[in-house]
Amino acid sequence: MTNFPKTRKINFAEFQTTGDLRATKYGLPSNVKFCKKCIISNQRPNSAVEFAHTTESKKQTIGFDDELICDACRVAEKKASIDWRAREEELRALCDKHRSTDGSYDCLVPGSGGKDSFVAAHMLKYKYGMHPLTVTWAPHVYTEWGWRNFQRWIHAGFDNYLCTPNGRVHRLLTRLAVENLFHPFQAFILGQKSLAPKMAVLHQIPLVFYGENEAEYGNPMGDADSAIRQWKYFSAPEKSSIHLGGTSIKDLTTDFGLEEVDLDPYLPANPDGLQKLGIEVHYLGYYTKWHPQSCYYYAVEHGGFEASPERTPGTYSKYNSIDDRIDDFHYYTTYIKYGIGRATYDAAQEIRSGDINREEGVALVQRFDGEFPTRFAEEIFAYLSIPEKEFPKASKMFEQPTIDMAYFNNLADSFRSPHLWSYNDGQWSLRHQVK
Amino acid sequence: MVSASPSQVKPQAVETALRLIARLDIKGANLIKGVHLEGLRVVGDPQIHAAKYYHDGADEIIYMDTVASLYGRNNLVDVVSRATEHVFVPITVGGGIRSVEDARTLLRAGADKVAINTAAIKEPKLISQLSDVWGSSTIVLSIEAKKTGDKKWEAYTDNGRERTGLDVGQWAETGANLGAGEIFVTSVDQEGTRKGFDCELVAEITKRVDVPVIASGGFGSLDHLSQLVKTAEPTGVAIADSLHYNRYSFDQIRSFCLANGISTRNFKSAADTST
Repeated sequence: MTNFPKTRKINFAEFQTTGDLRATKYGLPSNVKFCKKCIISNQRPNSAVEFAHTTESKKQTIGFDDELICDACRVAEKKASIDWRAREEELRALCDKHRSTDGSYDCLVPGSGGKDSFVAAHMLKYKYGMHPLTVTWAPHVYTEWGWRNFQRWIHAGFDNYLCTPNGRVHRLLTRLAVENLFHPFQAFILGQKSLAPKMAVLHQIPLVFYGENEAEYGNPMGDADSAIRQWKYFSAPEKSSIHLGGTSIKDLTTDFGLEEVDLDPYLPANPDGLQKLGIEVHYLGYYTKWHPQSCYYYAVEHGGFEASPERTPGTYSKYNSIDDRIDDFHYYTTYIKYGIGRATYDAAQEIRSGDINREEGVALVQRFDGEFPTRFAEEIFAYLSIPEKEFPKASKMFEQPTIDMAYFNNLADSFRSPHLWSYNDGQWSLRHQVK
Repeated sequence: MVSASPSQVKPQAVETALRLIARLDIKGANLIKGVHLEGLRVVGDPQIHAAKYYHDGADEIIYMDTVASLYGRNNLVDVVSRATEHVFVPITVGGGIRSVEDARTLLRAGADKVAINTAAIKEPKLISQLSDVWGSSTIVLSIEAKKTGDKKWEAYTDNGRERTGLDVGQWAETGANLGAGEIFVTSVDQEGTRKGFDCELVAEITKRVDVPVIASGGFGSLDHLSQLVKTAEPTGVAIADSLHYNRYSFDQIRSFCLANGISTRNFKSAADTST
């Protein structure tokens, strides 16, 4: 018995000009709007609890106010009136409270060695006199420059634990996330969110620092008001409610040949352990004015950080999110599902930060958004393929265990929402584009 | 306000004098600066900076609308025509020049030379078309070079974002043969880092072409200059970061050159001569 067909049926009638534009997938708003200040659309989903993510999940999306300004822009505006000196005092007080004097680590900084985690760890150590331990959840497949930047981070003066998940399990979960959710980045996110709290418990370090608050990018504004990261992002009470790659643990173990131990790195930390430790998760973006571009400058200056040797497909940038070869596909899938590609995310952030203006952002989106990421495609398709030799049981669940371009494109089409996409003369195009 | 006609202050043509050039990357109305041509940061008003560099003794000013190709536009006409009011050394302008007409507009606005990169790579014969009209001394081939291996560099477009597959040494040679009167080479690897020029890159080009070669990207200390001149013998150097952020002045650079046997134009600032 196979669960996943070789070809999925696409009802092209839904995508004609006369199609029902109210038919939306993922609970997206049927009326597409673009923020007047940046360029993000109201289709942008908020960060979700990934282990509750199934094919049935409905998305919460970024809020827009009556003036058609998005929550993220409003958060950016609020930043201007924040008393950053008072916030820095809060940070100093926090550090003073936790700073170790007995040779132990006093804070945990999870990160990749990208520009943001570089700044977080470096500042805590060299400016605030803390003794951070850094922990890293490995990318699916490192880019060469991502690996070099990771090494530079460590060599800027930090101990680091790198957790690299079992490659076969990671590939299978990623394939399932692609089949069920068209979300090739999910296995990474799951592990990344789970790792830090677990390491905190393991090393008995209650203070955890992240760089930036997700509210910067449009999560509910309430999140930004408290420096403490909400528990729901990294802990779950019940194993039976957990899904990985949109698949329950029971199915993963009975149908896909995995053992429970294979899933351990992905499972959220036990809330009891966290409570006992008294874990506190803080965002440096709450205490200091976080500016991604300045982080890039800082990381170059203090660690020899290198930008990628070319722009990332689907966008113009080469300084952020550059360490995972699957990342190109992550943003390609958001373009398919929500009409929002990497250039939109990058430009929206840079507009809010004052680095580019809206007109430039629109030009960049028109030029780059949704570009198919050819450069690593063959490698990523091989990564996502589940050959019988390596996956004797799981491969039987796929009518075609191997992924190729035709398979991927058909899958992509099955995740397009009729209210976003039209199909005419063999061409897909977005019904709404930012202007 | 000191006024001077171009003929009074323009540098004299001294064969061996190293040309000291201020490079101003422009985006919209702003002077910007990046690192590896990335993370473009707004520095200030290009007019104020250009006027200062002129007064301090720049032999030449280069305006680069480095994102013109990226955004598919060309905004430099205004910047150039305003600059001609208070900058009386040669002005080179690059970025977004796609045709003879584009070049004409900028030259009419007051540019002395035009620099092309993206358009020349797409359509190499544009170089000959331009030099047929204005002569090769007006046409600069700008190359964004990224190291790909031992003594190997690839030419990039779109402000160091887009690969072309072209070998930099070969492309410089082709460009010079087609009529480019000058090669302006930016090392993407060194640009904005203040870690020194890619001397091997510049040497590779000076070895291959007879036309003037300007080195850009990496100036961070005075030693970098002597190292470059010794190993690569460029005609000129372009400096951006160190000038924009007041790390070095032309005066310091010139004094260093003088003390280290590097010939430069004998300059006295307009302010000095007026007293």
